[in-house]
Amino acid sequence: MNAYNVKYARAPRMLAVAAAISIAVAGCATAPQSPEGSADVRGKLSALQSNSNLASKVPVEIREAEAAVVIAEAPVGKNVALGEHRIYMADRMVEIAMAKAATRYAEDQRAMLAQRRDKARLDARTHEADMAHRQVAMAQSKAEAERALALAAATRAASNEVEAAAKAKEMQRQIDVLQAEATDRGLVLTLGDVLFATGRSDLRPGGNSTLDKLVVFLNEYPDRNVLIEGHTDDVGSLEMNQTLSQHRADAVKLYLTQHGIQSKRVVASGMGETQPIADNLSASGRQQNRRVEVIIKNPSTELLSNTGGAGDDQFF
Amino acid sequence: MFETKRHRRLLAFVACTGTMLLFAACVSAPPAPTTSLNEASLAIKAAERDDASHYAAAELDEARQKLIKADAAVVANQMTLAERYADESTVTAKLAAARTEAAKAAAINEEMSRGAEALLEEMQRAGDKE
Repeated sequence: MNAYNVKYARAPRMLAVAAAISIAVAGCATAPQSPEGSADVRGKLSALQSNSNLASKVPVEIREAEAAVVIAEAPVGKNVALGEHRIYMADRMVEIAMAKAATRYAEDQRAMLAQRRDKARLDARTHEADMAHRQVAMAQSKAEAERALALAAATRAASNEVEAAAKAKEMQRQIDVLQAEATDRGLVLTLGDVLFATGRSDLRPGGNSTLDKLVVFLNEYPDRNVLIEGHTDDVGSLEMNQTLSQHRADAVKLYLTQHGIQSKRVVASGMGETQPIADNLSASGRQQNRRVEVIIKNPSTELLSNTGGAGDDQFF
Repeated sequence: MFETKRHRRLLAFVACTGTMLLFAACVSAPPAPTTSLNEASLAIKAAERDDASHYAAAELDEARQKLIKADAAVVANQMTLAERYADESTVTAKLAAARTEAAKAAAINEEMSRGAEALLEEMQRAGDKE
């Protein structure tokens, strides 16, 4: 019982001793205090050190700042002014390290920026060149298109011209074939009296190659109409010559219509002996006066313009 | 004999006193922190050369004020204080220089990136015009 009492009575005393010792130890540890404000500087330095991007760029400055901070953390006792001075120095050293880190970082970024700028420049130049190219290409294609159009027009004009020329040439050839004479009334084709026997109005067979050419011509140029005029010499009565010339003109017209020429395109008139082209005193003159003239009228002129009102139907 | 002894004592006293006086003088009046002061004014000049008055005017001004205080402390024969002010002036002048450098670097970068942006924008506009 006593032993127990002793044991339990000692316990609080031992506790008190332990507490006292621990307080003393704690007191010893905190006794030489770091100056006020050194924790702030340490915090600032730690922040810089933990930023690996910046810290790696200024190792020397950080080491110097670290040394200054360690000095600032050293207890100064009652020398507050010394503590403040050391903190001031340490703080400035940390700030210098930060500023230099920022500088280095900016310098490192510069390479990247330069690359970006160069790329932008290159892109701009490429873009410009592309634009210029495109404009040139557009201008070229436009010019080409215009050239092509002009060429096509020229070709068309040329082909028209060629065609027109060919047509004109062909017509001239046909005219030449007919041995027609161009007058202001149109093309005049003179058929000699060899087509007819004397005093007769029916066409001699086999002598119609000239008329066949005329048929070909009229088929080729459907806009051309013809006026057929019969003429005689002065042998015989006026009336008889008039009738004969009419019949001969009619015979030519008949030949043409029988060969496919529309009768409305052909007007036949007898002129009798009224329009001689040579002297009737000589045989050769009279022969020249016995004739049938086929006048191929120029297009769009009226059929009955020079017939003196004589229609073919009147005489049939 | 007596005279000689007294004479010696006097000599010793004088020597002792002189030495003590010398010591005293040394303790109360240390030499001015010339090195620190020179360093500070050199650092300020360097910062001024870098155009710190434009980029870090506050820091440069602070460094100058510290140097003025250091000089004043020298005049007041407070050499320890003078040295601290001189050192503070130096470190602040160096900070002014460092911040000036950083500001210049940042300005260059900004200019470069603006140039690139401008080109990109111009291209964009040119593209829009098409």
